[in-house]
Amino acid sequence: MSEAADPMSSSTLDRDVHADTQATWQSLLERIPYARHLGLEVQHSGTRVQVHLPYRDALIGNIMLPAVHGGAIGGLIEITARIAAQSRDARARRPRILDCNVDYLRSARARSTYAAAEIVRQGRRTTLVHVSCWQDRASTPVAHGRVQLLFETVPNGKTREQQ
Amino acid sequence: MAGTGNLADHDPVAVARQFGEQVPHSRDLGMQVLAMEADQVRMRLVPGPELRADDAAEELCTSVLYSLVDSACGLAVFAALRELKPIATLDLRMDYLRPAANKRALVAIAHCHHLTDDVAFLRCPVFSEGLDGPVAIGNATFMRATQGKHFETTASRSDAV
Repeated sequence: MSEAADPMSSSTLDRDVHADTQATWQSLLERIPYARHLGLEVQHSGTRVQVHLPYRDALIGNIMLPAVHGGAIGGLIEITARIAAQSRDARARRPRILDCNVDYLRSARARSTYAAAEIVRQGRRTTLVHVSCWQDRASTPVAHGRVQLLFETVPNGKTREQQ
Repeated sequence: MAGTGNLADHDPVAVARQFGEQVPHSRDLGMQVLAMEADQVRMRLVPGPELRADDAAEELCTSVLYSLVDSACGLAVFAALRELKPIATLDLRMDYLRPAANKRALVAIAHCHHLTDDVAFLRCPVFSEGLDGPVAIGNATFMRATQGKHFETTASRSDAV
């Protein structure tokens, strides 16, 4: 996300880069059954690529307010972090989410929610991603999340599930 | 909702349990409340194929565990307090210790380990049914009485804004 990382930056190039990122994110998102279940879609808005969680009644967590379930917001954050990290991997490997910490800033009302990711650190094995979620304006976020992901190095081609 | 006129006659924990199972997102994912006691709430989820992490893997999306823990912790606050005042999640942290197989049901056991006047602290391991040791552990903080108390405070304090 940092401007310094993009020395050739020009508005035309930015647009191409973002259109490319959007296509990559969309193809990664389409492989995730739970992302399809939530109805997530990738959007391109101004200078950023974002993930949209369209409102549905099935997302409600508090019938009285009403408000979107904190778990649905958590899912939006985790999946956005995952595709942001995965799109940066040279082999587009699927990372494993190690941990996720969400701070809820205000209740998410019964309408569209959006998420944008910032890669804080991309290491050899782990990637740390910050995700911001908002509804009306990006300047009044409903939640912030930080997600740590691992690109596993598996020497014998076996998963570590049995360990 | 139907029958709300009788709420006062019912045990608040029983009412909260019923509420918990009627939450649309919880129903959508297939969550059930197995037990609701003062010191723990147990919830179970039998995953469908739409909850997987990848088309090419029989692995559950971690976000399903996240939703289950958020729901179980919320109910555990009601169970510990035995009152139905509104609460709000301040934060929730999940540690995903290992992948959860899509074929196994999940069981989350939420425990409210500390309460102050304002805040409830919870811990919630998640198990893949039939396997030893948790697949994930959640830690959550909830604000208590997010509306009722605020009204009381502003009404009773002359310096309130």
